[in-house]
Formats: sequence, structure tokens, C-alpha cells
Amino acid sequence: MAVSSDLTEGLPRKQATVVIDRVSMTYRVHSTEVRATAGRTGILGRMRRSIGESPIVSVYALNEMSLVVERGESVGIVGRNGSGKSTLMRLISGQSNPTTGAVYASSIPIMLGVNAALVPELSGDHNIVLGCLAMGLTRNQIGERFDSIVDLSGLDKSIHLPMKSYSAGMSSRLRFAIAASIDPEILLIDEALNTGDAQFRDRSKRRMDELRLQAGSVFLVSHSLETITEMCTRVIWLDQGDLLMDGNPAEVTGAYAGFARHLSKGNNQTASKMRLEARQKLIATQVLERTPGRRSA
Amino acid sequence: MAKAVPPALPEPAQIRSFPVDTRGLIRVGARPGFLDYLVQLWDHREFIFYDAKARVQSGNRRDRLGSAWLILNPVFNGLTFYLIFGLLLQTGRGIANFIGYLIIGVFIFQLSSRAITNGARSIQSNRAVIQAFNFPRAALPIAVNIRELLAGVPVILAMLVLILLFPPGEEITGLWLFVVPALLLQMVFNLGVGLVLARVISTINDVTHLLSFALRVWMYSSAVFFSFDNLIVNETVLAIVKLNPLYLVLDIMRDSVLYAMVPEWQSWAVLTVWALGAVILGFIFFWKAEESYGREQ
Repeated sequence: MAVSSDLTEGLPRKQATVVIDRVSMTYRVHSTEVRATAGRTGILGRMRRSIGESPIVSVYALNEMSLVVERGESVGIVGRNGSGKSTLMRLISGQSNPTTGAVYASSIPIMLGVNAALVPELSGDHNIVLGCLAMGLTRNQIGERFDSIVDLSGLDKSIHLPMKSYSAGMSSRLRFAIAASIDPEILLIDEALNTGDAQFRDRSKRRMDELRLQAGSVFLVSHSLETITEMCTRVIWLDQGDLLMDGNPAEVTGAYAGFARHLSKGNNQTASKMRLEARQKLIATQVLERTPGRRSA
Repeated sequence: MAKAVPPALPEPAQIRSFPVDTRGLIRVGARPGFLDYLVQLWDHREFIFYDAKARVQSGNRRDRLGSAWLILNPVFNGLTFYLIFGLLLQTGRGIANFIGYLIIGVFIFQLSSRAITNGARSIQSNRAVIQAFNFPRAALPIAVNIRELLAGVPVILAMLVLILLFPPGEEITGLWLFVVPALLLQMVFNLGVGLVLARVISTINDVTHLLSFALRVWMYSSAVFFSFDNLIVNETVLAIVKLNPLYLVLDIMRDSVLYAMVPEWQSWAVLTVWALGAVILGFIFFWKAEESYGREQ
């Protein structure tokens, strides 16, 4: 493969908002698998086994990849369960640290999801103030936005009850409403996490659309390919932690839909051939530092 | 999640170089410089105070007697010690106003042990908030210590009232005002220790189990319910034992409240060194691991 820089060198570039530079993610977790334990011999191994310490295995959640996202781009991420979509989102939002590489952004990326957990002992309204203060809003800004947050959460009078008395749906609505109260430049939306009844879905979708229009860059994970094609200007396809495709929405969602259809029919060979073909055509990104020696690796 | 061994995928067709100027970009989740960190903490002061205040109110809501336990706890503790050490073992012989001596010991020790325990757990028990929002993490241990200080005000008042009630019923003098600076220095010391332990416990959770033992040793070596002067004969050992910061706090408070004596300046000096040393060391040690809190390893 040829490394060509003439494709981009010299062209006027828009400003990059998110730079994913050779990022990979490996989790080290305890395994209960017997095969992994059996390999452990000697006194030390037996001792460890006898105190119930399980062996640690590496899980490759995301293999090394680089991406550059510019202002105005909406990036959709598609892939099967366990393909690394959520891991990538967590890395971009700073909730996890990559094992290798680094993520750079022009401002702090904000993740809109329902996992913005709060303090269960406090009432809903206290949680709103606390969450907004944690995001760096001032008391005046919170005062201005308070009513719209309560409206979006649809909690009415329950807002004065402690959060631990809320149902799962109620607290996820409140979390979403708090996270959606600021207007971030870089917005991450993980729709796979989104729950709630039909009424809330409408309200939250409206708010997401508003935010999407204001944001400089958007990352969207959704199981609905329709939503992705409709909202995104660029789509990437992840599979088993690898980047398979990166391109225009119609093309990538089309390829992914075909792949998923073959898989569900049990045509595993066709599907895996499609996977390889997609990867063979991939134009990967390599991040070049313009000011070398500045970054600490 | 993903498989344990990555299968061979074809190389991408092409690698496109992307010149990026990272000067305008920040690394996501990066730790700021130490002074920037302190500025960020100052910017989050409203968050810190709100968190402290809100949790004082909701602290003991699960108990029927609510916040009264803040006072009942040391009262029962004091009663136990009085029965065992005062009546049975007679460690109070030679101590003027042993009941007052004991009350100050038990109440003041409780303040430190609560502040340090809760401060040490503040990162571990707030993982959800840490993962949801971007703020300097030291805000959490600071908020815990401010909460303990706020909750400590009625406790201190109750302590002084109890001293007035029990014979010989000390007189209120201007010297009682020394309680305030002593208390502040004590809280600063607690914060420093809490910051160090919070980082340690965020990686090695096992330390929580050791903490209660360490606190017990600390209590016995702080002359909470006996006097060193009656027990220790060796001069050097006595001098070393008297360097204990909590012993100094107790000594200063007993001198000013019970014995109407101006506390020695040496006690103040050593206590100030302890407090400032602990808090400076605590902040630097805590800040060093700022990127790791609340993250999956």
C-alpha cells in the first residue's frame, strides 16, 4: 500500500474538531474460563487459584485506528454489538483512557446518553443544579434553563422527590435532560442507550435535533440506519474492533445492511467475504503532526 | 465483547495522511498543570459548596432520628469509654474534669475519623458522577470535608453545651474562641489525608478495610480517654507521641476550654506544619493521578 500525502497536502483544510490519533483500547478483565485457569501450574499459580483469584485476560475492544473529523461533519457509527462503537464513544468523550494513542478535540466533547448517573439520595431538582454546576454552568445560567430541563424530563412534581425513588425510565429521562442542557461544540449521541416512552422520545429527538444543528461536530451511534443516513454526512463501520469502512452515508450503510442481512440469514461465508472486501477498499487515515515534538506520546 | 485474538484482516487499500495542527486542540481527559488545576477548582467552587450543602441535608435521612445521630454517636461513645476507662480502669485518675476531657476527645476524634473516612471514599463512591461530568476530581474530597465541617458546627456546639452541663461546669471565657482556628487546622489536615487516601483507594480498594484499623490505632495514640502524662515514663517516647496532630488539636482545645490556659505556641506551630504539609502533599499526590479517576482500567 502506498502512503500518499499528495491527496491532501496543499488543499485548504477546514478546522479539525476531533483527532483520533492511533487509538486502541484493550481491557484487562478477570475471566472465569476454566481453560485459562488450567494453564496455571506451580505453587504460585495453585495458591492464586485457591484464594479464588481468577486469571486476567486481555479483551481487544478497539484495534489501532486514526480518524480526523472536521467542523460541520456529522459522523454516524454503525456495527454489530461488541464492534467497539460504545468504546469509541467513551474514548472520544474522555470517559475511558485509550490503551495507546490519544484523542484530541477543540473543546470538551459532551456525551448525550442516559448513563450520566447522579446522586441517588438527592432530589431531582438538587440533582439538576448539581449536574449543571459540575458541567461548569453558573447559577444564573442554571436559573434560566431550569424550567426547560424539568419540561424536557417530563417529571413535573416528582422533581422534588429523591432520585432513588425514580423508575429507571424517569431517572434516565432526567439524566438526558441535564446532559442536554448545555450547547456543546462536539456532541456525542449514543441512541442505543436511549429509552423512554413514545412521548419522551419525541421530545428528546427534538432537543437532539436542536443541539445537532448548533454543534460543530456530531458523533451518532444508532441502530436505526435510517436515522444515520438522514442525519449524518459521513459514516464509519466498525466490526470486532476494526475500522472497515469510512465514507458517505448511503454507501457505508448500504454495505453494512447487506452484511447484516447475510448474517441474519446464516450466510456467514458471504458475510465474512463482504467484511474483507470492505476492509480492502478502506482508505485509512494517518495523522501527521504539523508541529512535531510538541505532543508527549 | 470482542474476541480474544484479533484475526488477520487485510491491510487498508490506501493510507491518507492528514496534517493536523494540534496547537488549537486539547487532549481529551488530559490532566492540566498544577496551577491550572487549582484555578479550575476555584471555578468549580459553587459546585463544591452546593454538593456539600445538599448532602448535609440528605445525610442521615434514612435514620429516624436523622441528624441527631451526629450528636448521639459521640455521646454513646463517650458513655462507653466513661464506663470502661473512667469507672472500671480508672484511667481518669489525675485528670482534672475527666468528663469534659473525655467529651472533647470523643467529639473531636469523631470529626476527624468521619472526614477522613468519607474523604477517602469520595472517589470510589462517586464513580457515576465522575464518569458523567468533566470537573476537577479534587472537588469531591473537598466537598466532603466542607460537608463534614458544616455538619460539625452543631456537633461542636453540643459538645460545648455538654461541658457546661456536667460538673464541675466550666466557665465560658474568651479562650473558647481558640476552638475555631484549631478546628480549621484540623479540617485542613483531614482534607490532606483524605486526598492521599482517595487516590490510593481509587486504585487499591482493599485499603478501605485497613482504614478502620488505622483509625483505631490513631485514636488510641491520641489520648482520647486517658492522659499520656500519667502513663508514659520515657521522655523521648512522650515527646514523639505528642507530635501527633490530633493529640495537638485535643490538647489545644482542652487547654482553652477546660483549663482556661492559653495553648502553647509550639502546639500551634507543629499543628500548622502538619495541616499545611498534609494538604499540599495531598493536592499534589491527588492531582498526579487526575486522569485515572472513575476510569475503567
